[in-house]
Amino acid sequence: MAAKNDLATEPADRVLVITRIFDAPRSLVFKAWTESEHMARWFGPRGFASTVLRNELRPGGAYRIHMRGPDGDDHWMQGIYREIVPPERLVMVGSWADAQGNLTRPETTLTLTFEEHDGKTKLTLHQAIFESVTARDAHQGGWTTSLDCLAEYLAAAQSSRG
Amino acid sequence: MSPDRLNATFAALADPTRRAILARLASGETSVSELAEPFEMSLPAVSKHLKVLQRAGLIARGREAQWRPCRLAAGPLKDASDWLERYRRFWEESFDRFEDYLRDLQKRELQQKEKKHGRKK
Repeated sequence: MAAKNDLATEPADRVLVITRIFDAPRSLVFKAWTESEHMARWFGPRGFASTVLRNELRPGGAYRIHMRGPDGDDHWMQGIYREIVPPERLVMVGSWADAQGNLTRPETTLTLTFEEHDGKTKLTLHQAIFESVTARDAHQGGWTTSLDCLAEYLAAAQSSRG
Repeated sequence: MSPDRLNATFAALADPTRRAILARLASGETSVSELAEPFEMSLPAVSKHLKVLQRAGLIARGREAQWRPCRLAAGPLKDASDWLERYRRFWEESFDRFEDYLRDLQKRELQQKEKKHGRKK
């Protein structure tokens, strides 16, 4: 991996972006991504059986998904919905967790954008870490720290966009 | 790789000044005063950022010279990238299944529509 080159440009780019075009209308793609009975049918890598344990589709609502791997290994993914704009945008903050619901990995912010072109849907998945860390710190600190964090967040958001 | 270490890496990276310091160090080791120059920041403020980066294992400080040069330590950054890479595989495979599922879903919807039309006739 060319770590040196990545760093020289902007370390804020340590963000995951995946784009995929699905041959289905946007309303259906959004529905299949957000409704529990649909999610259970496809969520997770091949060979994984997923159960949606909690899915409160509203800003501030929690979600928790259990996944059993092909070797019988258990995984949980959970978090909070931040933004829901059907059928075009979905933002959530979350991570991997244990059976008791404690997070076991750093939180990330997951932003999904659904765009329709000629009956097909372009889905862009954007997963970032820095924003989540900053946002979490903002919750813990007082007003001053929150404002500092907001300034940092905006700077980071701008540099990652540019 | 421990979750604590990953957390330390990401917390250290969550600051734009610290990311800029790392970007500067990517082109070679340098002194603290040289690092401070582009940031309009006091030396103690820069030192504070360096301490955070050092605790996270993202930089190393030389002991040999009096000016204690800073240099990049790539290990934790590689861990962070590997971690994101695992997420990439997770989503790519989920997307494959999602694609198949959407196809089935549309096929079923179409069949149901045809049935309804058939009954009406």
